[in-house]
Amino acid sequence: MKLYPVKLLTVTCEILARDAVISILEGRGVTGYTTYEVAGKGDRGVRGSGLEGEKNAKVEAVVREEVLTGLVEEISQKLFADYALVLYVADVGVARVEKF
Amino acid sequence: MEILDLIQSNLLTPIVLFFLFGIVAARVKSDLRIPDAISEFLPIYLLAAIGLHGGIEMRNTGLGQIAAPMAVAVALSLLFTLNHYWILRRLGRFNMYDSYALASTYGAVGAVTFSVGLSFLAGQGLESEGYLAAVLAVLEPAAFILAIFMANMAAARQARKRGPAGGPAGGPAGGPAGAPRPRMASVLRQSVTGKAIAVLLGSIVIGYIIGKEGFEPISVVFDEMFVGAIVIFMIEMGVIAGRRLGDIREVGVFLTSFAVAVPTLNGLVGVLAATALGLSTGGAVMFGLLLASASFIAAPAVLRHAIPEARPGLYITSALGITFPYNIIVLLPVMLAASVWAHGLVGGTP
Repeated sequence: MKLYPVKLLTVTCEILARDAVISILEGRGVTGYTTYEVAGKGDRGVRGSGLEGEKNAKVEAVVREEVLTGLVEEISQKLFADYALVLYVADVGVARVEKF
Repeated sequence: MEILDLIQSNLLTPIVLFFLFGIVAARVKSDLRIPDAISEFLPIYLLAAIGLHGGIEMRNTGLGQIAAPMAVAVALSLLFTLNHYWILRRLGRFNMYDSYALASTYGAVGAVTFSVGLSFLAGQGLESEGYLAAVLAVLEPAAFILAIFMANMAAARQARKRGPAGGPAGGPAGGPAGAPRPRMASVLRQSVTGKAIAVLLGSIVIGYIIGKEGFEPISVVFDEMFVGAIVIFMIEMGVIAGRRLGDIREVGVFLTSFAVAVPTLNGLVGVLAATALGLSTGGAVMFGLLLASASFIAAPAVLRHAIPEARPGLYITSALGITFPYNIIVLLPVMLAASVWAHGLVGGTP
Protein backbone atom coordinates (compact mmCIF):
# COMPACT_ATOMS: atom_id res chain seq x y z
CA MET A 1 0.00 0.00 0.00
CA LYS A 2 1.38 3.40 -0.94
CA LEU A 3 1.75 5.99 1.83
CA TYR A 4 2.01 9.71 1.02
CA PRO A 5 4.30 11.89 3.12
CA VAL A 6 2.63 14.64 5.18
CA LYS A 7 3.40 16.40 8.46
CA LEU A 8 1.95 15.75 11.89
CA LEU A 9 1.80 18.94 13.94
CA THR A 10 1.41 18.40 17.69
CA VAL A 11 0.76 21.26 20.11
CA THR A 12 0.74 20.52 23.84
CA CYS A 13 -0.54 23.54 25.70
CA GLU A 14 -2.50 24.79 28.68
CA ILE A 15 -6.12 24.05 28.04
CA LEU A 16 -7.06 27.74 27.91
CA ALA A 17 -4.87 28.13 24.81
CA ARG A 18 -6.55 25.22 23.01
CA ASP A 19 -9.26 27.27 21.34
CA ALA A 20 -6.70 29.81 20.13
CA VAL A 21 -4.64 27.00 18.56
CA ILE A 22 -7.71 25.53 16.90
CA SER A 23 -8.80 28.87 15.49
CA ILE A 24 -5.33 29.39 14.00
CA LEU A 25 -5.52 25.92 12.42
CA GLU A 26 -8.96 26.62 10.99
CA GLY A 27 -7.95 30.09 9.83
CA ARG A 28 -5.29 28.47 7.67
CA GLY A 29 -7.60 25.95 6.11
CA VAL A 30 -6.77 22.88 8.20
CA THR A 31 -9.89 20.75 7.99
CA GLY A 32 -9.39 18.31 10.83
CA TYR A 33 -7.67 17.93 14.18
CA THR A 34 -7.76 15.77 17.31
CA THR A 35 -7.62 17.02 20.89
CA TYR A 36 -6.99 15.28 24.19
CA GLU A 37 -6.90 16.44 27.77
CA VAL A 38 -3.51 15.56 29.19
CA ALA A 39 -1.32 16.13 32.23
CA GLY A 40 2.41 16.62 32.52
CA LYS A 41 5.30 18.70 33.68
CA GLY A 42 7.24 21.47 32.01
CA ASP A 43 8.58 24.99 32.33
CA ARG A 44 5.58 26.09 34.35
CA GLY A 45 5.61 23.20 36.80
CA VAL A 46 3.31 20.20 37.07
CA ARG A 47 0.13 20.87 35.15
CA GLY A 48 -3.08 18.97 34.77
CA SER A 49 -4.07 18.55 38.39
CA GLY A 50 -6.11 21.20 40.06
CA LEU A 51 -8.67 23.63 38.74
CA GLU A 52 -10.37 23.06 35.44
CA GLY A 53 -8.48 25.85 33.69
CA GLU A 54 -5.12 24.47 34.75
CA LYS A 55 -5.29 21.30 32.71
CA ASN A 56 -3.22 20.72 29.63
CA ALA A 57 -4.48 19.86 26.19
CA LYS A 58 -2.88 18.29 23.17
CA VAL A 59 -3.94 19.24 19.66
CA GLU A 60 -2.83 17.11 16.71
CA ALA A 61 -3.35 17.91 13.09
CA VAL A 62 -2.10 16.25 9.94
CA VAL A 63 -1.17 18.97 7.43
CA ARG A 64 0.50 19.34 4.09
CA GLU A 65 4.02 20.66 4.06
CA GLU A 66 3.09 23.88 2.23
CA VAL A 67 0.83 25.15 5.02
CA LEU A 68 3.10 24.03 7.86
CA THR A 69 5.56 26.97 7.92
CA GLY A 70 2.82 29.60 8.07
CA LEU A 71 1.02 27.67 10.80
CA VAL A 72 4.07 27.29 12.99
CA GLU A 73 4.96 30.96 12.51
CA GLU A 74 1.51 32.16 13.45
CA ILE A 75 1.31 29.95 16.55
CA SER A 76 4.75 31.02 17.75
CA GLN A 77 4.04 34.70 17.12
CA LYS A 78 0.67 34.76 18.82
CA LEU A 79 0.96 32.24 21.63
CA PHE A 80 4.55 31.44 22.63
CA ALA A 81 5.03 34.52 24.81
CA ASP A 82 1.94 34.21 26.98
CA TYR A 83 0.97 30.56 27.19
CA ALA A 84 2.48 27.31 28.40
CA LEU A 85 2.90 25.65 25.01
CA VAL A 86 5.14 23.14 23.25
CA LEU A 87 5.02 22.48 19.56
CA TYR A 88 6.65 19.79 17.46
CA VAL A 89 6.38 18.34 13.98
CA ALA A 90 6.88 14.80 12.74
CA ASP A 91 6.94 13.18 9.32
CA VAL A 92 4.10 10.73 8.88
CA GLY A 93 2.57 8.84 6.00
CA VAL A 94 -1.11 8.71 5.12
CA ALA A 95 -3.00 6.48 2.73
CA ARG A 96 -5.49 9.03 1.50
CA VAL A 97 -3.61 12.26 0.92
CA GLU A 98 -6.62 14.00 -0.60
CA LYS A 99 -8.18 14.24 2.90
CA PHE A 100 -5.58 16.76 4.07
CA MET B 1 -14.66 39.23 72.50
CA GLU B 2 -17.79 38.39 70.59
CA ILE B 3 -15.91 38.41 67.27
CA LEU B 4 -13.30 35.97 68.58
CA ASP B 5 -16.02 33.65 69.81
CA LEU B 6 -17.68 33.78 66.41
CA ILE B 7 -14.40 33.03 64.64
CA GLN B 8 -13.72 30.19 67.01
CA SER B 9 -17.11 28.56 66.53
CA ASN B 10 -16.80 29.10 62.77
CA LEU B 11 -13.49 27.22 62.81
CA LEU B 12 -15.26 24.13 64.05
CA THR B 13 -17.89 23.95 61.30
CA PRO B 14 -17.60 21.01 58.87
CA ILE B 15 -16.96 23.39 55.95
CA VAL B 16 -13.89 24.97 57.50
CA LEU B 17 -12.64 21.71 59.03
CA PHE B 18 -12.82 19.87 55.70
CA PHE B 19 -11.06 22.75 53.99
CA LEU B 20 -8.24 22.60 56.55
CA PHE B 21 -8.18 18.82 56.24
CA GLY B 22 -7.72 19.19 52.46
CA ILE B 23 -4.75 21.49 53.05
CA VAL B 24 -3.18 18.99 55.46
CA ALA B 25 -3.76 16.13 53.02
CA ALA B 26 -2.00 18.09 50.27
CA ARG B 27 0.89 19.00 52.57
CA VAL B 28 1.56 15.38 53.56
CA LYS B 29 1.45 14.56 49.84
CA SER B 30 -1.58 12.35 50.08
CA ASP B 31 -3.01 11.44 46.68
CA LEU B 32 -6.45 12.48 47.90
CA ARG B 33 -8.39 14.19 45.13
CA ILE B 34 -12.05 14.68 44.33
CA PRO B 35 -12.48 13.26 40.82
CA ASP B 36 -12.36 15.96 38.10
CA ALA B 37 -15.90 15.41 36.92
CA ILE B 38 -17.28 15.94 40.42
CA SER B 39 -15.21 19.03 41.16
CA GLU B 40 -16.36 20.53 37.85
CA PHE B 41 -19.94 19.56 38.59
CA LEU B 42 -20.15 20.95 42.13
CA PRO B 43 -19.83 24.68 41.28
CA ILE B 44 -22.61 24.21 38.71
CA TYR B 45 -24.75 22.49 41.34
CA LEU B 46 -24.07 25.22 43.91
CA LEU B 47 -24.96 27.97 41.46
CA ALA B 48 -28.13 26.16 40.42
CA ALA B 49 -29.20 25.88 44.06
CA ILE B 50 -28.39 29.54 44.75
CA GLY B 51 -30.25 30.62 41.62
CA LEU B 52 -33.35 28.55 42.38
CA HIS B 53 -33.59 29.95 45.90
CA GLY B 54 -33.06 33.46 44.59
CA GLY B 55 -35.70 33.09 41.92
CA ILE B 56 -38.29 31.67 44.33
CA GLU B 57 -37.74 34.45 46.78
CA MET B 58 -37.81 37.13 44.11
CA ARG B 59 -41.25 35.86 43.15
CA ASN B 60 -42.41 36.24 46.75
CA THR B 61 -40.95 39.67 47.38
CA GLY B 62 -41.41 41.16 43.93
CA LEU B 63 -38.78 42.59 41.63
CA GLY B 64 -39.07 46.20 42.80
CA GLN B 65 -36.64 45.89 45.71
CA ILE B 66 -33.73 44.79 43.58
CA ALA B 67 -32.96 48.03 41.76
CA ALA B 68 -31.25 50.02 44.53
CA PRO B 69 -29.03 47.23 45.99
CA MET B 70 -28.10 46.14 42.47
CA ALA B 71 -27.09 49.66 41.40
CA VAL B 72 -25.10 50.25 44.60
CA ALA B 73 -23.36 46.85 44.34
CA VAL B 74 -22.34 47.42 40.72
CA ALA B 75 -21.16 50.97 41.42
CA LEU B 76 -19.10 49.84 44.43
CA SER B 77 -17.66 46.88 42.56
CA LEU B 78 -16.50 49.06 39.66
CA LEU B 79 -15.14 51.72 42.01
CA PHE B 80 -13.26 49.05 43.99
CA THR B 81 -11.82 47.57 40.79
CA LEU B 82 -10.38 50.97 39.83
CA ASN B 83 -9.08 51.43 43.35
CA HIS B 84 -7.42 47.97 43.28
CA TYR B 85 -5.74 48.86 40.03
CA TRP B 86 -4.41 52.09 41.46
CA ILE B 87 -3.08 50.36 44.58
CA LEU B 88 -1.42 47.54 42.64
CA ARG B 89 0.06 49.71 39.92
CA ARG B 90 1.22 52.71 41.97
CA LEU B 91 1.98 51.22 45.37
CA GLY B 92 2.67 47.59 44.46
CA ARG B 93 4.61 48.41 41.26
CA PHE B 94 2.99 45.56 39.38
CA ASN B 95 3.03 45.77 35.61
CA MET B 96 -0.11 46.98 33.87
CA TYR B 97 -1.40 43.54 32.84
CA ASP B 98 -0.94 41.93 36.25
CA SER B 99 -2.55 44.96 37.86
CA TYR B 100 -5.64 44.81 35.67
CA ALA B 101 -5.95 41.05 36.10
CA LEU B 102 -5.63 41.23 39.88
CA ALA B 103 -7.88 44.29 40.11
CA SER B 104 -10.68 42.46 38.33
CA THR B 105 -10.11 39.18 40.18
CA TYR B 106 -10.76 41.08 43.39
CA GLY B 107 -13.58 43.14 41.89
CA ALA B 108 -15.38 40.01 40.70
CA VAL B 109 -17.20 37.66 43.05
CA GLY B 110 -16.55 34.11 44.15
CA ALA B 111 -19.54 31.83 43.76
CA VAL B 112 -18.05 29.23 46.10
CA THR B 113 -17.40 31.90 48.72
CA PHE B 114 -21.01 32.99 48.32
CA SER B 115 -22.22 29.42 48.95
CA VAL B 116 -20.07 29.14 52.08
CA GLY B 117 -21.52 32.47 53.26
CA LEU B 118 -25.07 31.17 52.88
CA SER B 119 -24.33 28.10 54.95
CA PHE B 120 -22.45 30.19 57.54
CA LEU B 121 -25.58 32.32 57.97
CA ALA B 122 -27.80 29.24 58.11
CA GLY B 123 -25.59 27.96 60.94
CA GLN B 124 -26.22 31.24 62.79
CA GLY B 125 -29.97 30.96 62.19
CA LEU B 126 -29.99 33.94 59.81
CA GLU B 127 -31.45 34.43 56.37
CA SER B 128 -30.52 36.76 53.56
CA GLU B 129 -32.44 38.42 50.76
CA GLY B 130 -32.87 36.00 47.88
CA TYR B 131 -32.38 38.66 45.22
CA LEU B 132 -28.69 38.78 46.14
CA ALA B 133 -28.36 35.81 43.77
CA ALA B 134 -29.28 38.19 40.94
CA VAL B 135 -26.69 40.68 42.20
CA LEU B 136 -24.16 37.84 42.14
CA ALA B 137 -25.00 37.16 38.50
CA VAL B 138 -24.52 40.79 37.49
CA LEU B 139 -21.38 41.46 39.56
CA GLU B 140 -19.59 38.40 38.24
CA PRO B 141 -18.86 39.81 34.78
CA ALA B 142 -18.93 43.54 35.64
CA ALA B 143 -15.41 43.84 37.06
CA PHE B 144 -13.90 41.70 34.29
CA ILE B 145 -15.54 43.79 31.61
CA LEU B 146 -14.23 47.03 33.11
CA ALA B 147 -10.68 45.76 33.62
CA ILE B 148 -10.45 44.13 30.21
CA PHE B 149 -11.83 47.23 28.54
CA MET B 150 -9.22 49.38 30.29
CA ALA B 151 -6.39 46.93 29.57
CA ASN B 152 -7.33 46.97 25.88
CA MET B 153 -7.46 50.77 25.82
CA ALA B 154 -4.08 51.01 27.54
CA ALA B 155 -2.51 48.49 25.16
CA ALA B 156 -3.88 50.40 22.17
CA ARG B 157 -2.48 53.65 23.58
CA GLN B 158 0.94 52.09 24.04
CA ALA B 159 0.88 50.75 20.51
CA ARG B 160 0.01 54.20 19.14
CA LYS B 161 2.94 55.68 21.04
CA ARG B 162 5.28 53.12 19.51
CA GLY B 163 4.14 54.23 16.06
CA PRO B 164 2.07 52.86 13.21
CA ALA B 165 4.05 49.61 13.08
CA GLY B 166 2.31 48.56 16.31
CA GLY B 167 -0.66 47.03 14.59
CA PRO B 168 -3.37 47.54 12.01
CA ALA B 169 -5.36 50.74 12.36
CA GLY B 170 -8.87 50.44 13.71
CA GLY B 171 -8.61 47.26 15.74
CA PRO B 172 -6.90 47.18 19.11
CA ALA B 173 -3.20 46.86 18.45
CA GLY B 174 -0.95 44.05 19.58
CA GLY B 175 1.25 43.61 22.61
CA PRO B 176 5.00 43.21 22.45
CA ALA B 177 4.77 39.75 20.90
CA GLY B 178 2.48 41.09 18.18
CA ALA B 179 -0.51 39.09 19.33
CA PRO B 180 -3.80 40.80 18.46
CA ARG B 181 -5.86 41.75 21.51
CA PRO B 182 -9.12 39.88 21.78
CA ARG B 183 -12.11 41.95 20.79
CA MET B 184 -14.27 43.37 23.53
CA ALA B 185 -17.39 41.76 22.08
CA SER B 186 -15.94 38.28 22.25
CA VAL B 187 -14.78 38.81 25.83
CA LEU B 188 -18.22 40.11 26.74
CA ARG B 189 -19.96 37.17 25.12
CA GLN B 190 -17.56 34.74 26.75
CA SER B 191 -18.10 36.09 30.25
CA VAL B 192 -21.87 36.38 29.98
CA THR B 193 -22.47 33.03 28.27
CA GLY B 194 -19.90 31.23 30.44
CA LYS B 195 -21.37 28.30 32.33
CA ALA B 196 -21.38 30.04 35.72
CA ILE B 197 -23.53 32.99 34.65
CA ALA B 198 -25.62 30.81 32.34
CA VAL B 199 -26.60 28.30 35.04
CA LEU B 200 -27.15 31.05 37.61
CA LEU B 201 -29.43 33.15 35.39
CA GLY B 202 -31.22 30.05 34.11
CA SER B 203 -31.95 28.82 37.64
CA ILE B 204 -33.12 32.25 38.80
CA VAL B 205 -35.65 32.33 35.97
CA ILE B 206 -36.73 28.74 36.63
CA GLY B 207 -37.03 29.38 40.37
CA TYR B 208 -39.16 32.44 39.63
CA ILE B 209 -41.44 30.36 37.40
CA ILE B 210 -41.85 27.29 39.63
CA GLY B 211 -42.21 29.09 42.97
CA LYS B 212 -42.35 27.36 46.33
CA GLU B 213 -44.73 24.56 45.34
CA GLY B 214 -42.74 23.66 42.26
CA PHE B 215 -39.55 23.54 44.33
CA GLU B 216 -40.99 21.04 46.82
CA PRO B 217 -40.21 17.84 44.84
CA ILE B 218 -36.58 18.87 44.12
CA SER B 219 -35.79 20.38 47.51
CA VAL B 220 -34.06 17.18 48.68
CA VAL B 221 -31.35 17.78 46.10
CA PHE B 222 -31.18 21.57 46.01
CA ASP B 223 -31.86 22.40 49.63
CA GLU B 224 -31.01 19.58 52.00
CA MET B 225 -27.88 18.48 50.16
CA PHE B 226 -26.52 22.01 49.72
CA VAL B 227 -24.21 22.22 52.73
CA GLY B 228 -23.05 18.62 52.30
CA ALA B 229 -22.09 19.35 48.72
CA ILE B 230 -20.07 22.39 49.79
CA VAL B 231 -18.26 20.19 52.30
CA ILE B 232 -17.19 17.76 49.57
CA PHE B 233 -16.07 20.65 47.40
CA MET B 234 -14.08 22.08 50.32
CA ILE B 235 -11.85 18.98 50.35
CA GLU B 236 -10.89 19.75 46.76
CA MET B 237 -10.44 23.48 47.47
CA GLY B 238 -8.25 22.60 50.46
CA VAL B 239 -6.11 20.21 48.41
CA ILE B 240 -5.61 22.78 45.65
CA ALA B 241 -4.89 25.58 48.13
CA GLY B 242 -2.52 23.28 50.03
CA ARG B 243 -0.54 22.50 46.89
CA ARG B 244 -0.20 26.20 46.23
CA LEU B 245 1.01 27.12 49.69
CA GLY B 246 4.58 27.01 48.42
CA ASP B 247 3.70 29.53 45.69
CA ILE B 248 2.65 32.12 48.25
CA ARG B 249 6.30 33.05 48.64
CA GLU B 250 6.32 34.08 44.99
CA VAL B 251 3.22 36.18 45.55
CA GLY B 252 5.22 38.42 47.85
CA VAL B 253 4.53 40.43 50.97
CA PHE B 254 2.73 43.26 49.19
CA LEU B 255 0.21 41.07 47.39
CA THR B 256 -0.30 38.92 50.49
CA SER B 257 -1.24 42.01 52.50
CA PHE B 258 -3.38 43.22 49.61
CA ALA B 259 -5.19 39.86 49.55
CA VAL B 260 -6.22 40.31 53.19
CA ALA B 261 -6.61 44.09 53.57
CA VAL B 262 -8.62 44.79 50.43
CA PRO B 263 -11.37 42.19 51.05
CA THR B 264 -11.67 43.42 54.64
CA LEU B 265 -12.13 47.02 53.56
CA ASN B 266 -14.46 46.18 50.66
CA GLY B 267 -16.51 43.82 52.80
CA LEU B 268 -17.00 46.26 55.65
CA VAL B 269 -17.96 49.07 53.26
CA GLY B 270 -20.42 46.62 51.71
CA VAL B 271 -21.95 45.70 55.08
CA LEU B 272 -22.44 49.39 55.96
CA ALA B 273 -23.87 50.26 52.54
CA ALA B 274 -26.28 47.32 52.70
CA THR B 275 -27.40 48.27 56.20
CA ALA B 276 -28.07 51.81 54.99
CA LEU B 277 -30.06 50.34 52.10
CA GLY B 278 -32.25 48.49 54.58
CA LEU B 279 -31.04 44.91 54.02
CA SER B 280 -31.41 42.43 56.88
CA THR B 281 -28.48 41.50 59.15
CA GLY B 282 -27.79 38.37 57.13
CA GLY B 283 -28.37 40.17 53.84
CA ALA B 284 -25.79 42.81 54.74
CA VAL B 285 -23.22 40.07 55.44
CA MET B 286 -23.87 38.48 52.05
CA PHE B 287 -23.72 41.90 50.36
CA GLY B 288 -20.38 42.52 52.04
CA LEU B 289 -19.19 39.07 51.03
CA LEU B 290 -20.10 39.76 47.39
CA LEU B 291 -17.76 42.76 47.45
CA ALA B 292 -15.06 41.07 49.55
CA SER B 293 -14.74 37.83 47.63
CA ALA B 294 -12.32 37.21 44.81
CA SER B 295 -13.00 35.01 41.83
CA PHE B 296 -10.81 31.95 41.39
CA ILE B 297 -12.84 29.62 39.21
CA ALA B 298 -14.25 32.03 36.63
CA ALA B 299 -11.30 34.44 36.67
CA PRO B 300 -8.63 32.23 35.09
CA ALA B 301 -10.92 31.16 32.26
CA VAL B 302 -11.83 34.76 31.38
CA LEU B 303 -8.48 36.40 32.07
CA ARG B 304 -6.22 33.87 30.32
CA HIS B 305 -8.17 34.68 27.19
CA ALA B 306 -8.63 38.42 27.71
CA ILE B 307 -5.33 39.46 29.33
CA PRO B 308 -2.97 36.58 28.46
CA GLU B 309 0.09 38.65 29.44
CA ALA B 310 -0.90 38.60 33.12
CA ARG B 311 0.61 35.84 35.25
CA PRO B 312 -2.15 33.45 36.37
CA GLY B 313 0.06 32.21 39.22
CA LEU B 314 -0.43 35.58 40.89
CA TYR B 315 -4.16 35.96 40.71
CA ILE B 316 -5.07 32.31 41.30
CA THR B 317 -2.71 31.83 44.22
CA SER B 318 -3.67 35.04 45.99
CA ALA B 319 -7.43 34.57 45.45
CA LEU B 320 -7.56 30.88 46.32
CA GLY B 321 -4.60 30.46 48.64
CA ILE B 322 -4.98 33.60 50.74
CA THR B 323 -8.24 35.47 50.26
CA PHE B 324 -10.61 32.51 50.15
CA PRO B 325 -9.48 30.94 53.46
CA TYR B 326 -9.30 34.38 55.07
CA ASN B 327 -12.82 35.23 53.91
CA ILE B 328 -14.50 32.04 55.07
CA ILE B 329 -12.62 31.69 58.35
CA VAL B 330 -12.08 35.25 59.60
CA LEU B 331 -13.94 37.81 57.54
CA LEU B 332 -17.40 36.19 57.62
CA PRO B 333 -17.63 36.34 61.45
CA VAL B 334 -16.13 39.84 61.43
CA MET B 335 -18.71 41.04 58.91
CA LEU B 336 -21.50 39.43 60.91
CA ALA B 337 -20.37 41.30 64.01
CA ALA B 338 -20.15 44.52 61.96
CA SER B 339 -23.61 43.94 60.56
CA VAL B 340 -25.13 43.31 64.01
CA TRP B 341 -23.44 46.48 65.27
CA ALA B 342 -24.55 48.59 62.28
CA HIS B 343 -28.13 47.32 62.54
CA GLY B 344 -28.08 48.25 66.22
CA LEU B 345 -27.09 51.79 65.24
CA VAL B 346 -29.91 52.24 62.74
CA GLY B 347 -32.35 50.46 65.05
CA GLY B 348 -33.24 47.77 62.53
CA THR B 349 -34.27 44.25 63.46
CA PRO B 350 -31.20 42.07 63.97
